[in-house]
Amino acid sequence: MTLSPIELKTKIIDSLKLQDITPAQIDDDAPLFGAGLGLDSIDALELVVMLEKEYGIVVKDIEEGRPAFKSVRTLAEFIVAKRPA
Amino acid sequence: MDKLTVTAASRVTAADLATARLGSRFGRMDLFSQLALLAVESLGINFDSLARDRVAICLAAATSSLATDVEFWKGRDAAGGLSPTLFTYTLPSAAIGELAIRHRLTGPNLCLVGGDALLLAEAADLIRRGEADACVCVSGDVVSAALAELIRVPATAGASALFLQRGGEGPHVLRENDRDIASWCAVISGAKNLG
Amino acid sequence: MCDPAANLPVVAVAGCGAVTAVGEGVGALRAAMRANASGLRACERFRHPRFQSSVVGAAPATTSGVESDDPAFELAHAALHEAAGEAREVLSATLPTRLGLVLSTTKANIEALERLADGRPCSDAARRHLQPDLLAADLAALHGARGPVQCVSVACTSGLVALQQGAKLIQRGAADAVLVVGVDHLSAFVVGGFSSLKALDPVGCRPFDRDRCGLSPGEAGAAMVLARAELAPRGAVTLRGWGTSNDANHMTGPSRDGSGLAQAIRAALGAAGLRPEEIDYVNAHGTGTPYNDAMESAALRGVFGEACPPFSGAKGMLGHTLGAAGIVETILCVLAMRERLLPGTPRLGASADGVPASLVREPRAAERLDHVLKLSTGFGGCNGALILGHG
Repeated sequence: MTLSPIELKTKIIDSLKLQDITPAQIDDDAPLFGAGLGLDSIDALELVVMLEKEYGIVVKDIEEGRPAFKSVRTLAEFIVAKRPA
Repeated sequence: MDKLTVTAASRVTAADLATARLGSRFGRMDLFSQLALLAVESLGINFDSLARDRVAICLAAATSSLATDVEFWKGRDAAGGLSPTLFTYTLPSAAIGELAIRHRLTGPNLCLVGGDALLLAEAADLIRRGEADACVCVSGDVVSAALAELIRVPATAGASALFLQRGGEGPHVLRENDRDIASWCAVISGAKNLG
Repeated sequence: MCDPAANLPVVAVAGCGAVTAVGEGVGALRAAMRANASGLRACERFRHPRFQSSVVGAAPATTSGVESDDPAFELAHAALHEAAGEAREVLSATLPTRLGLVLSTTKANIEALERLADGRPCSDAARRHLQPDLLAADLAALHGARGPVQCVSVACTSGLVALQQGAKLIQRGAADAVLVVGVDHLSAFVVGGFSSLKALDPVGCRPFDRDRCGLSPGEAGAAMVLARAELAPRGAVTLRGWGTSNDANHMTGPSRDGSGLAQAIRAALGAAGLRPEEIDYVNAHGTGTPYNDAMESAALRGVFGEACPPFSGAKGMLGHTLGAAGIVETILCVLAMRERLLPGTPRLGASADGVPASLVREPRAAERLDHVLKLSTGFGGCNGALILGHG
């Protein structure tokens, strides 16, 4: 089962209340943290909340989520892998 | 005795936020922080000409962060649980953090709840004691509809800011036993826009 | 720059009061300091998936038998009552209009929000005390303070800022004595909030420990009566200087290099007219989070180089009491100075790499405790430093 990148990007924008950016402007492989979108540690925690709320995925340990949060692509792959059936 | 000058003053309301563009993370801030940032932006201060560690930030929040507190607590049973972002802003002094980050101000900080009338005297004292050379003063209040119902005060959303400097050039000098401090506080919490 | 020789009145501590996780009263605090005890316990109330840990620093109920809906008021009032008792001579010589009050709190009586949101009973007073300034006004009225009243709320630096504000009121002649009281009570709001940030240590905080991984929420009411030194008992501890600063870096994480806190320390030293080597002991903020304790170690190195004075942290004893922390931990410093005892660091196992070697593990006698530095940091990048001296 695939996950539409546009859908995921929209959820990222909405849950993090990013302004002046459209899903089309977020590159699938651009870094989410540090450079790229410039998200910080609070955003990482908010994405964990979003994953549970929108996809039913519980990230027990933030370290588990770290590699998944690298880019939109890695996050999408994580969701597809972990999403409850 | 040092001459202290109010070099700029401003007032903003929630309506002014519609066209505000103050960084990509502006959207995640609580309303009070957004209003504070916009009010300070409207002062038009060139912070580059100042020593950043000598500029203080003084804030007065009439109803603390209660509007955000209510919003945060409302999410307690939501899927995914409480929002870490909202929790970060359940402090009236969060606006100080955002102001400091945006303008890279590392000087002294003060945040009072309900201290609107005291703010200018405290800012003047900080400068006179030599703890700072200038002070960004912001006084505001956010009462959401939900909070209004809870604590039975009228809903509101607005902030006023002024910049107080040692020396400085500006329309208004604070005199030592300045009985006009009260009227300056009226400017801070009232509707007048200067210059 | 601030001129320490400026003719400002010296401000002294005339009385202290506290209700904390180690019991009611300053005596309980003193006993816990001597025993290096911890008041952190697993608390049934926070055993729920919403909370990352149930280990907290809970104060004893101060209203016997009845679960209070106004814990902020109860804790603050009890602490003020004790402090005013110790300072009764000074206060009886102070006109009510010359007695001020400064309240330090981050969430005031947030209990009321939880009750109202759940539809549980909530008195008018409890609801009123959701607003920190009204809590301050009511405490002032109850304790006869008809002078200036302020309510300070600068995250976890509130306590030190409130002490500073009280001292300034006296120094500029607006008051002869000031009741400075700090309070925050344990709440699902706060424990849930820190849980959402994954900021709690599941087994209880271990400041400066190699395995530290988070903080433990605590509650306290803590009060100090400040007065002009000539009105206070001879030999009373004095407030020599203070400073605040902002990291201007991140909303919840401190600046890694500790430069903001170092700046606040230097401001306090300058105001006190002291050199770093004249500091005999430092009481750290020491929350037990990986970032905070590392940052403080860096700040101490930045100011003291390799000659860091003995230092320790109290949050393993009391938990992080937020708005009360700066006050109750300063009271601990006052007790330490009175006994010439260096407080230890409860719950410390193996100290972390990079922590200065002068970390005090167990309490021990000090040769000299003339000048003590108290530190605090808070969300929003706030830093605070206060220096105590002997009258």
